[in-house]
Amino acid sequence: MSQYKAVNWNTPENDYAGMFWEQNLRQFWIDTEYIPSKDIDSWKSLTPEIQEAYKRALGGLTLLDTIQSHTGMPKLLDHIDGLQNKAVLSFMCMMEAIHAKSYSTIFTTVNSTAEINELFEWVESNKLLQFKAATIDKYYISLDAAKVSNEDLFMGLAASVLLESFLFYSGFFMPLWLAGQGQMVASADIIKKIVADESIHGVFVGLLAQDVYKKLPDPEKSKAELVELLMELYENELKYTDELYTEVGLTADVKEYVRYNANKAMMNLGFEELFEIKAVNSIVLNGLNGETTQHDFFSKKSTNYEKSTEILYLRDEDFQMDTDPVF
Amino acid sequence: MVTKKWILLNNEIMVKKDDEFSLHKDKEAVRSYFLDYVNKNTVFFYTLKEKIDYLIEQEYYVDFYQWYTFEQMEEVYDLVYAKKFRFQSFMSAFKFFQSYALRDDSGEKFLERYEDRVVAVSLFLARGDVAQAKSYAEMLINQEYQPATPTFLNSGKKRSGELVSCFLDEIGDNLNGIGYAIDSAMKLSSIGGGVSFNLSKIRARGESIKDVEGRAGGVLPIMKILEDTFSYANQLGQRPGAGAVYLNVFHTDIEEFLDCKKINVDEKVRIKSLSIGVVVPDKFMELAEKDEACYLFHPHTVLKQYGKYLDEMDMDEMYEELVTNPLVKKKKINARHLMVKIAQTQKESGYPYLFFKGNANREHALKEIGNVKFSNLCTEIMQISEVSDIEIYGKEDKIRYGISCNLGSLNIATVMDNKRIKEAVKTAMRSLTVVSDMTNIAMVPSVQKANKELHSVGLGAMNLHGFLAKNFIMYESKEALDFCNVFFMMVNFYSIQSSMEIAKEKKETFVGFEQSEYANGNYFASYIAKDITPVNDKISVLFEGMTIPSAADWTALMNEVKEHGLYHAYRLAIAPNQSTSYIMNATASVMPVVDVIEVREYGDSTTYYPMPYLDNDNYFFYKSAYDMDQKNVLRLISVIQKHVDQGISTILHTNTKDSTRDIAKYYIYAHKMGLKSLYYTRTRKASIDECVSCSV
Repeated sequence: MSQYKAVNWNTPENDYAGMFWEQNLRQFWIDTEYIPSKDIDSWKSLTPEIQEAYKRALGGLTLLDTIQSHTGMPKLLDHIDGLQNKAVLSFMCMMEAIHAKSYSTIFTTVNSTAEINELFEWVESNKLLQFKAATIDKYYISLDAAKVSNEDLFMGLAASVLLESFLFYSGFFMPLWLAGQGQMVASADIIKKIVADESIHGVFVGLLAQDVYKKLPDPEKSKAELVELLMELYENELKYTDELYTEVGLTADVKEYVRYNANKAMMNLGFEELFEIKAVNSIVLNGLNGETTQHDFFSKKSTNYEKSTEILYLRDEDFQMDTDPVF
Repeated sequence: MVTKKWILLNNEIMVKKDDEFSLHKDKEAVRSYFLDYVNKNTVFFYTLKEKIDYLIEQEYYVDFYQWYTFEQMEEVYDLVYAKKFRFQSFMSAFKFFQSYALRDDSGEKFLERYEDRVVAVSLFLARGDVAQAKSYAEMLINQEYQPATPTFLNSGKKRSGELVSCFLDEIGDNLNGIGYAIDSAMKLSSIGGGVSFNLSKIRARGESIKDVEGRAGGVLPIMKILEDTFSYANQLGQRPGAGAVYLNVFHTDIEEFLDCKKINVDEKVRIKSLSIGVVVPDKFMELAEKDEACYLFHPHTVLKQYGKYLDEMDMDEMYEELVTNPLVKKKKINARHLMVKIAQTQKESGYPYLFFKGNANREHALKEIGNVKFSNLCTEIMQISEVSDIEIYGKEDKIRYGISCNLGSLNIATVMDNKRIKEAVKTAMRSLTVVSDMTNIAMVPSVQKANKELHSVGLGAMNLHGFLAKNFIMYESKEALDFCNVFFMMVNFYSIQSSMEIAKEKKETFVGFEQSEYANGNYFASYIAKDITPVNDKISVLFEGMTIPSAADWTALMNEVKEHGLYHAYRLAIAPNQSTSYIMNATASVMPVVDVIEVREYGDSTTYYPMPYLDNDNYFFYKSAYDMDQKNVLRLISVIQKHVDQGISTILHTNTKDSTRDIAKYYIYAHKMGLKSLYYTRTRKASIDECVSCSV
């Protein structure tokens, strides 16, 4: 009979699981906190080409988040050591499901049912998008066994990082670029929350991958396989970018941005950058910056507030303080 | 749609070269904004006459010819254009053209530049007095004073909202009262005002209606209706409607009230866009300090027992009585835990505001006439109010005081540089008075009554941190305290003097002056007792060239006030002024800056705003508010508060790792230091890089 273990948070399993748990908790959000209905006028002012690109970008993102929550995270969770790590992954898995739903919250607000149905048909029939999904999913499916090799596990984790840190960004470009110029700003609040989540997911899974990488007998071989996978996805990403962004004239900017994020994915996995980057569109780059911004509460909801995890109560001495008047 | 060049340039400020931000990009952004956008989209007129006539004929401007000849107007235009005004940052220019400049009816072409807006405001407020128009114009183009948004935006326009910013009212505990409040909310919101209501008189959830227990819905359903009302009644789509509600901390609905900001609660009780504030009497802070049991009361049972609203009682006096009376329904809680709950809610949403009722009433100049019971959307307005009795059709209502306030801010840096505190305060008081006199909100009679009888205004100040940094003074330093003490004493002095002069000219004081602390002289006691002068040499130098009023001057002023009275029941209030401080290229209000380059999000844009006068020499003096000990900030505010008859919008800046206890300690400190309110709590998120680097 096998022995079952209970997760013990009293003893840290590693340097980072507890920290990521806390951070995940703080970042927790749900889609219905936000008010995309404020964007209805903005949506109507956009050209049909931009509307189309926006919808498709978000449709593509929905697919990726769906895979991540339904296959990716659960499969990784099966094979990762450490119950605390598993707990963090399961929290992330839930967030992926919230992400996947939240794009729908935006669609539902600005689009008709017919448009939405058409979009989801497009997602299912678009070859480039389906290729992305299938390529990543292949690595997840290879983890569908009681025991897997470290090589397979590494590639599974690496594929997840590529998805989180690299493949999402051709989709994020559109909402961030529009928001930087004052369009679809309320919906961008949701997107920024997702970006903030994906960035910790990428870092966390990247750290797990680095731990596995250290155990590999022939690491160079796995690294070569990773680079090959990245390049394959990159080629596909360029075509996908052409398809989404040519009509709105943003193809060159998006491609540079895709390369920038490919580098980030490699760095999350502990490797050097692959591409030389000249200039990433600063509007989109600044939009990625998750740091605290100024806003007035009357014109928009803030993305700055987080779940409060430091609940401490007052003590008697807290009321004793030097309060002599200054003058 | 192509990427807008000026926005890209503004974003490129953030690109670091050799560890320095690319600040020069901001100037390029301003240039591009004008060349590539503003100039191309501005309607061109051959002559000034053609412009003025066109704007009047097309019903953009009011008919200025009723007050001025063309030549007189031309003089004012010439004065303003001769100053060769230039926007110092992209944010200033962008904000002005985005939100304030007059556009044609298609919304596509600009009809005004900054200079034109300044002239239109000046001509409009001066009502035909050319000399007065010139002194307004000079003050505005020098950027010494900035009227609040509604005044600056709407003055001189034929089709526009009101000039007043801010309205407050009580809600009576019956359907007529609630209906009146919702009706007022809609009307005031549609003319561009921020509206705040005191919900403390509403019976709590589960109280009786017509003596049937358990029927009342409490405050939440009313909040829900108000929230929807504000989002519906915006100002012609230009500004979203905004409102706030306050609840007394002793009201039994208080916990539910705080929970409405939780992110995952039922739609019916979740409040997304309405601002909330808590009225905190001294008694509550005392119970927390002593860690004694704290009781919340069902307000309707209190009213039935004493014929008086819970919210109008002096809790120091009545608390024990209410606790002992078995017919008053109550609920026991732990005051410290409630404070922590407030802190937790603030960490997660920035709300609620806190209004320290005891502090607001201790030095209140109208204390013999009534109490200050709550505050407004920005927690700086503090005036008497009393609930009106609204009757059914056919019966006459008993209308009492709502609150109306129009605001404006001095720019500390320019006023100090030009050595014009006295002139700027007096001219500013004149312009605020005109706005109050011109305003007549007939559709909300309680607000109309207050404005008509009390003539309240709220003169504030901005650019404190900018001024200090420019002069190499740290915001948290003793010198800063010294400066504020003298500066705001002077603002107080000249605003009283101005109000007295206006009363003398008009032969009219605010209603109730005879009962005020101004009339009996109590208000002046501390000023007469001793001279206020700079204690620090560095600060003395800054005031050189200006006369600092002495104790003797204050005595003389007191006597003049006794003789002539004051025109304004309330004069000073320091607003948070956000948009207007950008136009002025100033730091907001008297608050410290959040960053050397502020990332500013609006509903329609994100802009990068380098702090005014920023260069390598003063960089160090722009310490972020998030890196300051908040007690230092609160101490500075306490110094300013002594010279301000209403309140000061005070923001707490905290970091992710600050616990609820750390934040609750700031409440305790603020309360003990005599602050009247706390506005938002802002939180700086720890970035994931920081987290990883400190733990991996």
